[in-house]
Amino acid sequence: MRRLFIGLAASAFCALNAFAAEIDTALGPVTIDGRPETIAVYDIAAIDTLDRLGVQIDGVPDTLYLPQLSGLKDGAETVGTIFEPNLEALSALGPDLIIVGGRSSPAIEATRRVAPSIDMTMGGDDLLADARSRLAAYGALFAVEAEADEALRELDASVEAARKAVAGKGNALILMTSGPKISAYGVGSRFGWVHETLDLPPAVKSLDAANHGEAVSFEFVRDADPDWLIVLDRAAAIGSGEQNAKATLDNALVTETKAWKSGQVIYIPAADFYIAAGGVQAMGRVLAAITEAFSHSQ
Amino acid sequence: MTAAAANRSHGLVGIAAILVLAALSIASLFVGVSALTPRQLLNDPEALRLLVESRLPRTLAAILAGGGLAIAGLVMQSLARNRFVEPTTAGTAQSAALGILVVTLLWPDASMMSKTIVASVTALAGTSIFLALAHRLPPTQPFLVPLFGLVYGGVVGAGVTFVAWQADLLQYIDVWTNGEFSGVLRGRYELLWIGAAMVALAWWVADRLTILSLGKSASIGLGLNYARMLQLGLVIVSAISALTVVVVGMIPFVGLIVPALVSRFAGDNLRATIPWVAGAGAALVLACDILGRLLRYPYEVPVGTVLGVVGALMFLGILFRRHDDG
Repeated sequence: MRRLFIGLAASAFCALNAFAAEIDTALGPVTIDGRPETIAVYDIAAIDTLDRLGVQIDGVPDTLYLPQLSGLKDGAETVGTIFEPNLEALSALGPDLIIVGGRSSPAIEATRRVAPSIDMTMGGDDLLADARSRLAAYGALFAVEAEADEALRELDASVEAARKAVAGKGNALILMTSGPKISAYGVGSRFGWVHETLDLPPAVKSLDAANHGEAVSFEFVRDADPDWLIVLDRAAAIGSGEQNAKATLDNALVTETKAWKSGQVIYIPAADFYIAAGGVQAMGRVLAAITEAFSHSQ
Repeated sequence: MTAAAANRSHGLVGIAAILVLAALSIASLFVGVSALTPRQLLNDPEALRLLVESRLPRTLAAILAGGGLAIAGLVMQSLARNRFVEPTTAGTAQSAALGILVVTLLWPDASMMSKTIVASVTALAGTSIFLALAHRLPPTQPFLVPLFGLVYGGVVGAGVTFVAWQADLLQYIDVWTNGEFSGVLRGRYELLWIGAAMVALAWWVADRLTILSLGKSASIGLGLNYARMLQLGLVIVSAISALTVVVVGMIPFVGLIVPALVSRFAGDNLRATIPWVAGAGAALVLACDILGRLLRYPYEVPVGTVLGVVGALMFLGILFRRHDDG
């Protein structure tokens, strides 16, 4: 952290404009002098939000996962993966600022050797608060406050719509399918924001706050007997064409649940929910899917 | 001890072992998230359905996988003429995983059956290479073979990791590599019965496998078709390993510990020991799966993880006991 400040202080001498922004990051507030012109971004959620704000991204990871973002690869350099930056490609690009987050956040020490880097990781339980804070930070950093305000209003509106839709429609269980196996996610998990933000009661209250979920059997789902199943197909999220979530769940035990019997199984847009969690456009699509499913039930 | 007394004590051990396996099977039928008691079975059709759909398949899967893996270890030890190799330490399971990975990349919608076939073929190739190289090692250095096996398995495993890394499937190979029965239901484990057929095949040719374990010149001298027998043994090991990896994932240590323990009191005549090895392997995996279901109830601890701990402890026990005896 100190190294970043020294680096930034040094570059402040040759900064042509007097622009400076103090923004919140996952590692605390950071002051950035000068509006970054060339940026490399490793976090898909950050790319998603920056894309909404119309900020030009010059370095992107090799896979963007979301089909909506695929256009960004034209006119941008590939600088590694979301797990591992390619430092040579990064040096060749010579960015003013590098944004990491989530899966790439452990690499920040390495990327700092190339250029000032900020960690924009977003948490689980209060994903919405983090998403809003990042939105405001990008608005200030890239001087696009008007777009950021508008995106914020849209996000709040989709949250409001989803809250209205789920109110009084019963409880839900969040499941992730990984090929033939499943895990369940509770209130404190990486997907727990769905319960917290939308006031959606969890079907199993005791589910621990394990970020990666709990491996469970199909009997667990049968006994939890949720009114709604919110299903994330991990294979779909990472783009592998494995057995799909519906085939995994369509068995004698899960079909006994209230959720399955009444057709209240929501297959959430996988990459939006899993890879780009907290990106404003991705979050909007997740909320829209939830709103749509819940408003069709009585 | 006279021969008659030894036979009698073996008989008693046999009865005790069958009782343990039966008790574990019954326990496995009644341990799970949904409440199920023997009394409910009599008057609740729902309970019977649960038993047929979920508990019975899971119990059978653990028995089949455990028995199969123990036999695969036993046969592999005969082929390599070394007691310290087994399919997960000598590259067979890793080769099977490589096969699945290649199928997933090239042909994502492949059925379980075609995955199993490809995995069996790669496991066969991987194990053949291991044996061809292991037979060149000096027989006077028995620990070279398992050490070479560990290195070889590590190299093949690294290859799997490399391909998975390139294809962004790194976390996804966990699904295959860490053995787990949580996804087992009726209709999702039946391929393991082919493993039971392989165990029967091993029993049928048990005498020839025993001769094979005496080495090439001795077995040719005794009139064995050495090359043919080696191939058959390879097919048995590869098919069982590939089936287990495809259906439930890798389960370590079973093929190592169980034959070692059984040979202590039952000797090395395969015709006599195969039922023991299969039964003890089934009991070990079943016990570990029950433990995995109970440890963090109602969540699951994968059987591969449980066996990693239990198996390591048992293996150390075997090593130190061996030391005391000697």
